[in-house]
Amino acid sequence: MYVKAEPATDLNKNTEWFTYPGVWTTYLLIVFMSWLLVLSIFGCSAGMAWTIVHLCHFAVTYHFFHWKKGTPFADDQGIYNGLTWWEQIENGKQLTRNRKFLTVVPVVLHLMIGELWYLIGSHTTNYQNPMLFFITLAVFVLVVAKFPHMHKVRIFGINADH
Amino acid sequence: MIKIPYFSALSTYFSFGLLFVFGHVRDFFRKIFDFFHSSNLQVLLFFCFNKISFASGSCRFWHNSALNASVLCVNDPDCFGRPISSAPDVWFDIVHRYSNDNNKTMRRTSKVTRCLNLGSYNYLGFAAADEYCTPRVIETLNRFSPSTCSPRVDGGTTTLHKELEESVANFVGKPAAIVFGMGYATNAATLPVLIGKGGLIISDSLNHSSIINGARGSGATIRVFQHNTPSHLEEVLRQHIAEGQPRTHRPWKKIVVLVEGIYSMEGELCKLPEIVAVCKKYKAYVYLDEAHSIGAVGQTGKGVCELLGVDTADVDVMMGTFTKSFGSCGGYIAGSKELIQYLKYTSPAHLYATSISPPAAQQIISSIKVILGEDGSGRGAEKLARIRENSNFFRSELQKMGFEVIGDYDSPVISIMLYNPAKIPAFSRECLKQNVAVVMSAFPAVPLLLSRARICISACHTKEDLLKALEVISQVGDLIGIKYSLAGSNKQHQEQGPKKLD
Repeated sequence: MYVKAEPATDLNKNTEWFTYPGVWTTYLLIVFMSWLLVLSIFGCSAGMAWTIVHLCHFAVTYHFFHWKKGTPFADDQGIYNGLTWWEQIENGKQLTRNRKFLTVVPVVLHLMIGELWYLIGSHTTNYQNPMLFFITLAVFVLVVAKFPHMHKVRIFGINADH
Repeated sequence: MIKIPYFSALSTYFSFGLLFVFGHVRDFFRKIFDFFHSSNLQVLLFFCFNKISFASGSCRFWHNSALNASVLCVNDPDCFGRPISSAPDVWFDIVHRYSNDNNKTMRRTSKVTRCLNLGSYNYLGFAAADEYCTPRVIETLNRFSPSTCSPRVDGGTTTLHKELEESVANFVGKPAAIVFGMGYATNAATLPVLIGKGGLIISDSLNHSSIINGARGSGATIRVFQHNTPSHLEEVLRQHIAEGQPRTHRPWKKIVVLVEGIYSMEGELCKLPEIVAVCKKYKAYVYLDEAHSIGAVGQTGKGVCELLGVDTADVDVMMGTFTKSFGSCGGYIAGSKELIQYLKYTSPAHLYATSISPPAAQQIISSIKVILGEDGSGRGAEKLARIRENSNFFRSELQKMGFEVIGDYDSPVISIMLYNPAKIPAFSRECLKQNVAVVMSAFPAVPLLLSRARICISACHTKEDLLKALEVISQVGDLIGIKYSLAGSNKQHQEQGPKKLD
């Protein structure tokens, strides 16, 4: 099966790879594979594995999408130095399909964990609530960071330019 | 339009993701160890490692969000920067290198291998000694010395430079031309002078980095249009002319559209007639970079304008380089007399940079004479016919074998798509084992998914050379698994298999 690879009009090499077909599938596959990996390494329950995956996903995506600024390429001459990856994709255009997809993924993960926990909730009562709290906090932070209103906003000057 | 098998796209993303993770993990541990070992937090700026056996090509990452600039350099040194020890003719000598520390540093030996050259931009074969050009170049070297030791305005304008500029203007078909010592600098130093703040630059998305550099240096607003799509160019033009300058909405002072004749990584020809028509309609200037097409395409070698039937008076600024078809170095800008006069007053490359070396200038003058047939022989026309034949033959044979090949008919640049980063060093090394030298391109020079091997055909490639190259590439292609077109398309191809060439 073939897909078309149209060269994007995005000059920013840091983000233009995201516009090609296959990225979403790869992203979801990586999340799924890491869930399987966690299950096989730790041998925990399905819900616990999803929780671990979700929290790692939160840490990784927050760090790379919303914390790291600039690009790895010196020949950009520093024009993106003050922008996080999220602010750079698609030249800063808000509410594109890619952005909507990336916003939905942590919410879906959260729902999956919620579902699984509620299903096995009647059996295990010890450690549900604290976990759910952290997961909800993670989703909240991730989704708020992706709002259009948060474009270039640095709360309390955290992560601002110097 | 490039079509990728879906599985290749997924596996390429996955490979790059894995490389990225490896790099970061390595970087992270390196930071911790350095923290314990050194007294301050100054991290080494460059370190290359290649413990990963399937590392991709020149993929460099800097993190500039913090004060430390830690560089994560994943490099495959034995596939890039191979030293050669002879002229870059069709057959040349590649120096053997070995590494004692897993490809971290490479050491030269004195052993050389004669390899078939499929990478040099030697379109007309002027890269090695030529019976007409070389004696004249040596004579010029004796008369003028290797360098003028001066910028053009000080003492660096010799009679050769005057002759060269007239010769180039005449060749390209414009009233006047100006010549610079370096091709990259021609773009980077001319664009800022031609347009400034308040102007609009619309550049093709796959333009060379010298053009992007020059455009960024100019201070004008830059917009990009989809590669070779005149309809998108028109859309972008209309939108921006209607909106005007960014905040003030005043009309633009100048609009320049930057395109290339042949795109060096794709081998595609520019859709020049349509683009020129669009620009005329909206009164935008056209800047054409003919680095790869001048001297290599067209009936008499005069570039894409001749090939596509565009009047040179319609293209406002024609730029080109002498490194590819003329076997020399340097670049030129050709345009109206007023434009060239203006450039002579303002271009920093003319005012402050050393002028083009006299033997190099003589090489260009002589090679132009050969191409035009003014040396009295028909070698120029013969070379042009041969490069056309060679490129078309090679491309069609590769396509028949099932490779995913991009590039237009008649273009001497042929790209074989690899996609996966692991295949890049594999292709390079396997070809070198069989004495064929090819050039690989990976991210960030090309889009992430579209890594490729780029082949440049020369007029001096004989039929035997091309057949040998085809045989080697076919074997390597089978070994690596890059015959994508065979797998996907009709069964007939599969049943025939790679054709036996006689």
